[in-house]
Amino acid sequence: MISTGMTGIDDMLGGGIPRGSKVLYSMEPGVNGQLFMISTIYEALAKDLSCLVILPHTTVDAFLHDAANMRGSMLQTDGKKIAFIDMIDRERIQRSAPTRDAAEKEWRARISKLCNENQTEVIFGYFDVMYEDFGLERGLNLLKSCHSGNPPTVIIEHLNFEGNHLLEQFIEKMSFDLVVSIKASFGLLPHFNFFTLVHTSWAPMQKRSVPFIISNGRIVPYIPKIVVTGPPDSGKSTFVASASDQGGSIDRTGLSGDTTTVAMDFGWLHWKDFDITLYGTPGQPRFDPLIPMLLKNAMGAVIVIDVTKPDGLVRAKHLINLISERRMPLVIAANKNDLSGGMSEVEIRTTLALTKSTPVFFISAKRNEDVRFVLESLVDFITQFSY
Amino acid sequence: MYIYKTGIAQIDGVSGGIEAGTNILMLAPSMSSAEQLAYALIKPVQGEYSIVLSTNERAAEVVDFFKSAGCDKRFIGVIDAITKSSTPSIADTTRLMFVSSPTDLTGIGIKFSNMIESTFEGTFADGETGLFPPPIRFCVNSISTLLMYRKLEVLYQFLHILTAKQKKIEGFAIYLLNNESFDDRTLSLIKQLMNGVIEVKMDGTDNYFRVLGIKGTKADWQKYTVNKGQVMIVP
Repeated sequence: MISTGMTGIDDMLGGGIPRGSKVLYSMEPGVNGQLFMISTIYEALAKDLSCLVILPHTTVDAFLHDAANMRGSMLQTDGKKIAFIDMIDRERIQRSAPTRDAAEKEWRARISKLCNENQTEVIFGYFDVMYEDFGLERGLNLLKSCHSGNPPTVIIEHLNFEGNHLLEQFIEKMSFDLVVSIKASFGLLPHFNFFTLVHTSWAPMQKRSVPFIISNGRIVPYIPKIVVTGPPDSGKSTFVASASDQGGSIDRTGLSGDTTTVAMDFGWLHWKDFDITLYGTPGQPRFDPLIPMLLKNAMGAVIVIDVTKPDGLVRAKHLINLISERRMPLVIAANKNDLSGGMSEVEIRTTLALTKSTPVFFISAKRNEDVRFVLESLVDFITQFSY
Repeated sequence: MYIYKTGIAQIDGVSGGIEAGTNILMLAPSMSSAEQLAYALIKPVQGEYSIVLSTNERAAEVVDFFKSAGCDKRFIGVIDAITKSSTPSIADTTRLMFVSSPTDLTGIGIKFSNMIESTFEGTFADGETGLFPPPIRFCVNSISTLLMYRKLEVLYQFLHILTAKQKKIEGFAIYLLNNESFDDRTLSLIKQLMNGVIEVKMDGTDNYFRVLGIKGTKADWQKYTVNKGQVMIVP
């Protein structure tokens, strides 16, 4: 496997990109997604793979500086097996080759020569200009000029003006193994960027979209909202606090002397290359009008129940119904499993009428590792959920 | 709706100015002073921002024009597609951004989005803020150069997106194109994306312009000069 250089995405792909694959990073115009390709190039070189980088739109020096500005560090090429074909090479080809056929032949010769000299394992191609010069099929066929033992992995970035129609051609006509579409949700301006795993040939996978942010020169998949809800006193605030790197709770002291959440819990965590924001709801029914608002745009939900309080399941069932209406990934955190006399999984599943696909995790919300495991499972669920 | 003043009585006097969301193609022969006219029209007034995509001049030269026209440079942004090819290490700032060549439409699109975003976020002008939502004037100088690097079909798609975004953010944009160097098909295709056209012609050393397609304006040729960013109509 070849890593994309983005851990969260590697996990979604089952470990990375199988060698010999053909990969497309499709960019919507104006969307800041160049770091996808850059991250994969950095990772390939870090792993000492022999690379050919084709840059018909820029010079090698400009590319290296741009990449360094985006990534925060210079691409280490010293002692590495890396070759480039850049804008200057393209201009030379244009000058020396009077026809398209002649230019194609010249491109082929250059790619073949560099691949042979360097035993190239991965070709990175910025494809826009090749597409414009030669069309889809002939442009991609140029990359097949690389014969150096096993077929190289081909990874291209393309500025996609043609939308899904072009993606279908990459998948169906050109048999690409991985197609990642990088887009933005535009209001007046792009208010969040997201990537979609449109197609993966080596693993059955639902088409999946995940927002991302760029932080410290890295693509960080971002789950902007996971809602944590459940009956009163089930341990939601403890769950959010245990999970979070930062956060807070808006509570007041109840008649019993215990604190109860009266607005929301809020937590933020960075975990396994994901940025995740948690919203905890109050548990009491009088706050129910808040819950649809908190569920709006949520990507997943955790229902926290107290395994020692079977009476709470009625309330939990009501909350599950509210969430189910919105068709989002849901997991059950069966809390206080460290106390005796708790319900069994069968009792919980039966009472809550859970489908087999809804996981139930027995945890203590006080234990950070338990809570993180629930979230890990939910993130997996979110990235593979069939809406 | 926001109205962009042009400083030209023949336009402002009739309709008050240019309506927000307008894209104008400026067709001009080489050696004319169309570039100065375009820059004069997109010069920001108080509270506005201006962004220039320059494929012909370095960012510093573009900024100099606006400074000489009395503009506050903190409200001027330039996407420079010239300098980076000779100075690869040059780094972007909030208002001066660089792409390696006019070929790089990916880079141009991203830098444009970044600049627009910073005007909305209030980080564009070193703590100074203009109006909100930000009125943005934009100039592409020039489509002619872009067409030397990319095919018409690709550039059409690119401009289609760019003009649509201008409309969405309610900007006012001018796109310069040398009408002597391109055939009728090219001109008519690019015109399809525009709300109006300003034609520039030369007679000897004199420059003339006329406005076509902008509501209420007459299509008469006007002799003009540009001095320190001010358009003067010569009677």
